[in-house]
Amino acid sequence: MFDFRQNDSTRFEFENLALKHIDPLYSAALRLTKNDRDAEDLVQDTFLRAYRFFDKFERGTNMKAWLFKILTNTFINRYRRVVKERNIVEGSEREAVHERFISREASDSAANPEAWFFDRLLSDDVLQAVDTLPIDFRLVVILADLQEFSYKETAEILDVPVGTVMSRLYRGRRLLQKALAKYAVLSGVIPAPAAGASIDLEAYRRRRGKSA
Amino acid sequence: MSVDPNPAPMDCSDIERLLDPWLDGEMAPKEAAEASVHVETCAACRTEADSRRAVRDGIRATLRAAMGPEAPGAAAPEELHERIANAIAHDRRPLWRRLLTPVPIAAAAACVLAFMFVLAVARANDPLVEEAVQRHARGLPLEITAADAATDAVPEWFKGKLDFNPSPPRFHRPDVKLVGARLSHISDRPAAYMRYELPRGHAGLFIVEDHDGRLFPARVLFSDDDVPGHVRIVTARGYNIAIWHRNGIAYSLVSDLDAAQLQGLLEAAALEAR
Repeated sequence: MFDFRQNDSTRFEFENLALKHIDPLYSAALRLTKNDRDAEDLVQDTFLRAYRFFDKFERGTNMKAWLFKILTNTFINRYRRVVKERNIVEGSEREAVHERFISREASDSAANPEAWFFDRLLSDDVLQAVDTLPIDFRLVVILADLQEFSYKETAEILDVPVGTVMSRLYRGRRLLQKALAKYAVLSGVIPAPAAGASIDLEAYRRRRGKSA
Repeated sequence: MSVDPNPAPMDCSDIERLLDPWLDGEMAPKEAAEASVHVETCAACRTEADSRRAVRDGIRATLRAAMGPEAPGAAAPEELHERIANAIAHDRRPLWRRLLTPVPIAAAAACVLAFMFVLAVARANDPLVEEAVQRHARGLPLEITAADAATDAVPEWFKGKLDFNPSPPRFHRPDVKLVGARLSHISDRPAAYMRYELPRGHAGLFIVEDHDGRLFPARVLFSDDDVPGHVRIVTARGYNIAIWHRNGIAYSLVSDLDAAQLQGLLEAAALEAR
């Protein structure tokens, strides 16, 4: 008798404003949930909640930041409890690769020893390194350094003071730098010369020594 | 430093904390300028700043390459697009939220098939509200009860008694029972009245011929007053009343339900009718 489908102007407006941000949201959701299925559910929940609360969205403000706020809130409230943090397994493949260069002498070093390896990283190593960051740092790095939200926007998304964003970003960058170096070394993309990486490598050798 | 005219210049320990925000352009202009002065004059801090910039730029480029728009696997799968479009299309936002959403009236009117619930303030002397509530509340005896005959016989009973065909919506809900019917009138026009029993309370449906649209106030809001699916929900004297207009017939459903329940009732009718 009635047409109850919501094909009204509100829906069109929402679809116009919001759906174009699906890719960055999905990419962030993957790094939060660490698996495809949960990431898809999280993104769907995010859009549904955004749609339901669309009247709360102040027209003319940053839709992308608003969606990220809903995404992170949804994740923290719902998924964080149920998604198990995946262990970073140094599998046999990685060890085998590792063996090939472990005795190699450090040779490369550029003007910025902390940064020289960045352009040699494998995409998969980057994702794994990001995944090792504790969630608070992972979120800030993704928001500020990948999505390039300002400190203020990031603070609003996470509902924390700007000072907290500042310190988390500082620590997050250092942690990520270390993790990236470690993964680059482990997968044999780079040898192990850099100061930051060698510390991890020592620990790695000790662990292997003990278990062997 | 002794030659520095600035009485309290930033020192290396200040800079250590502030280098990242300085590099990110997140400092207030005055502070940023002070930091710049220090970095330019202090070799150690300049080296540190260069190193941090390299790390930040490296991290940004690396993240973009692995997770940015160009990265393989970073795009949402096509199936997710479909799931979301579907979920939104079939979502029932809570009534009060829908009512509060500002909808440009011109856009709503242009969208002919749009369904809307409009929470309306009863017009003074709106007969579809005032008279309907009065007559429903009075609870006059029914002229035919569903116990007398099959439920389908009730609409039959009106034939020949009215000069239009009253076709009530089928609610298709086991908890909504047609109790009976009688003739009534709204604004001096003959009307069909049907009484329903609900899990809590009753509802009375008035159906009245309104070819000229005089009874239905929706045309005040919408240029096309015969758009099916425009349902106004009005509160009057403790009742929630849904009124709508279809094919020259006006309907007024007076109920004890709250607005959301009333909407749910009509939605159940609509889903079955499609």
